[in-house]
Amino acid sequence: MKTWFKSGSPWVWLSAAGVSISLISVVGLLLLIASRGLSYFWPSQIHQFELQNVHGESSVVIGEIYEHERIPAKQLNNKNVDIGDAQTVDRYLVKTGNRELVSLDFRWVLEPMVQKQTQPENVVVIERRTNGNFYGFIEEVYMGGEKVEAATLDDFIERVSELQEDIEQLQGKDIGAINFELERIRLKERKAELDGKLTSQLKADFEQRRAELAQQYNKLEANLNQLRQEVQRDKIVVRAMDGQTVDINLEQVLQITFNNQMGFFAKLGQFFHQIGSFIGDDPREANTEGGVFPAIFGTVLMVLLMTVIVSPLGVVAAIYLHEYAGNNAFTKLLRIAVINLAGVPSIVYGVFGLGFFVYMVGGSLDQLFYPESLPSPTFGSPGVLWSAITLAILTLPVVIVSTEEGLARIPSSMRHGSLALGATKAETLWRIILPIASPAIMTGIILAIARAAGEVAPLMLVGVVKMAPTLPLDGNFPFLHLERKFMHLGFHIYDVGFQSPNVEAARPLVYATALLLVTIIVALNMTAVSIRNRLREKYRSLEN
Amino acid sequence: MINVNPQVLITDSERLDINNLTAEQVALEIKNLNLHYGDKQALQNISMKIPKGQVTAFIGPSGCGKSTLLRCINRMNDLVDICKIDGAIELNGENIYAKHVDVAQLRRKVGMVFQRPNPFPKSIYENVVYGLRLIGQNNRRVLDEVCERSLRAAALWDEVKDRIHESALGLSGGQQQRLVIARAIAIEPEVLLLDEPTSALDPISTLTIEELINDLKQQYTVVIVTHNMQQAARVSDQTAFMYMGDLIEYADTNTLFTTPAKKKTEDYITGRYG
Repeated sequence: MKTWFKSGSPWVWLSAAGVSISLISVVGLLLLIASRGLSYFWPSQIHQFELQNVHGESSVVIGEIYEHERIPAKQLNNKNVDIGDAQTVDRYLVKTGNRELVSLDFRWVLEPMVQKQTQPENVVVIERRTNGNFYGFIEEVYMGGEKVEAATLDDFIERVSELQEDIEQLQGKDIGAINFELERIRLKERKAELDGKLTSQLKADFEQRRAELAQQYNKLEANLNQLRQEVQRDKIVVRAMDGQTVDINLEQVLQITFNNQMGFFAKLGQFFHQIGSFIGDDPREANTEGGVFPAIFGTVLMVLLMTVIVSPLGVVAAIYLHEYAGNNAFTKLLRIAVINLAGVPSIVYGVFGLGFFVYMVGGSLDQLFYPESLPSPTFGSPGVLWSAITLAILTLPVVIVSTEEGLARIPSSMRHGSLALGATKAETLWRIILPIASPAIMTGIILAIARAAGEVAPLMLVGVVKMAPTLPLDGNFPFLHLERKFMHLGFHIYDVGFQSPNVEAARPLVYATALLLVTIIVALNMTAVSIRNRLREKYRSLEN
Repeated sequence: MINVNPQVLITDSERLDINNLTAEQVALEIKNLNLHYGDKQALQNISMKIPKGQVTAFIGPSGCGKSTLLRCINRMNDLVDICKIDGAIELNGENIYAKHVDVAQLRRKVGMVFQRPNPFPKSIYENVVYGLRLIGQNNRRVLDEVCERSLRAAALWDEVKDRIHESALGLSGGQQQRLVIARAIAIEPEVLLLDEPTSALDPISTLTIEELINDLKQQYTVVIVTHNMQQAARVSDQTAFMYMGDLIEYADTNTLFTTPAKKKTEDYITGRYG
């Protein structure tokens, strides 16, 4: 026993256990998120339950089974069902959709009440722009008021989606550009007024330009109205589970699928299609449906901006601390301060960012450069630039510390070699030291990205919103609008999971969004890691 | 007694009398140089004249100050914060410790090769032309020419001419050291300082470098620090023996090794201590 202790194997076992625990928790976490998140996209079978209660009243429930659980009989207060002597009761959570007919689109189905459970072939899932999914049976299809064969439905849906795309294009791009231009004219006029240069000539010019734009706008609006009428041409009549028939205009319909008729490969196709629209579409219905594209875009843009800000700042600070600052008590104090900065809670940075960057710096910028748009703020309100800067400050210590360590690892013979050839200290730094330290700098940036991409709390104060009407990048000059608010995946998870009116519906979305966030962070990190490995390879022989 | 390589033996008529050099014959003159590291005095009142176009060796036991003295010549000791120097070193009659001297300029005139090979993690080519790029020389043709000439002068060209754009870190230790010498002579210094250039190398690489030093003195004044007396005897024209920060004896190599004037020198070269 004593020799066993002496041999060191207990410590080997202990460290192996440590490694296993961390590995299992990481893999387990990823597996959980992945399975829950991805199953959301898999088209599930639609079940039809025929139910009967103790009073002999029967009803039909159609929907997807979300959950299956077994509860103790005591817990059940439902007097409508006879469960006999059974100790436990099985029940299903069924998503029944049809939000316009019933207030809740989820309901529990008790096993003992089920008379018959089938999976009818002709049941359809209709994904709609509003009101969520509809489950039912297609009764009739109308084209412009005339009844037609149901087989042409696919063509109709395609036509609708094309028209909808045109409408979006017209609304977002063309009319958006006119609005943008009108706002610019208003600001120009206001600026001229503030400068006291608003002559009647200038005024007339502005009026004329406005009139031109109004004319363009009217033309586009007429176009838009026409498209809107066209898109509303077709409708279907659908029978819901309780026998009611409902008219659904095809304008509302995104997709109609017969889940119960799909084979494995059709489902696989549908699965990838759903993932694609989750990644590429805008959110609908208070973020509980649709995609998360603006959030992905916002997250990546903010992280990239943060990286662009933090890297030079951190590297310059580290160079000063390591190369130029004297080796005295003040430098030591500075170093301790930098390290402690990493321990400040992130929400504190959020408060600081809001108070200092948004109100003070942003407010002053508005006073100086955008007086014409006051009192509505330009940079004086939370936005993607302030978020990036706040997170840059938050991650600065990480970059400084790892850069400094990288600088310290460089053998002094490199510096001496360069100095002996007549290089100044600055030249040596720029040509020899920084390239050799670059893998360490990349390590700092990787850690900074990993921390910044997952941070939510400070962003809630300095720029993230639940729903941003426009992306920070668009076709209007100057294309990158750093003052705009943005959406963020981390905040999206919080919002969908905990602020949503429909928690059951949102839960799978939370997992899917979490999976996406983790994937994006991993992707950003892997990019940085591969760059670092390439640099390391280049300078490998220096490590020893 | 150590045998002096007959190859380096100079006939009496050729031999310089280092105590009576004309101004043109002197490359470097060290005048009353004192150096302190903090409270400790590392060099004590050193005065010597180093002749042009010859190899001068500094020998002595570890910690005697020979490397410190060498580093004074291109002011590498400036990098040590606690180092204080008084006295003068004159390069072509000008004190390199004068206030107006540009240290970077000085180091271009006085090149240095260190104990361990320290090539930069760049290609062989970029290593050699580094000094030229520093002064803004980016003309491809000039750089190519200097690179080839320097590598030839360092007896490395034939070994690396097919891979000058590959990393210098892939070379062997001896090749790296010659590369570092090529890098130093690419900017055509007047004086070349070698700080124990072969102590990290195997015997064959050492031999190559020693032959190279012999060739280099055609063009450059070479000052070499070595702990290896045989090496000093083989490559140098003059030898200075230092002990505990003092310059004990400075004479032509032949004399110093065959008929040392001082007891300490004799004790050292006969291996009685050190």
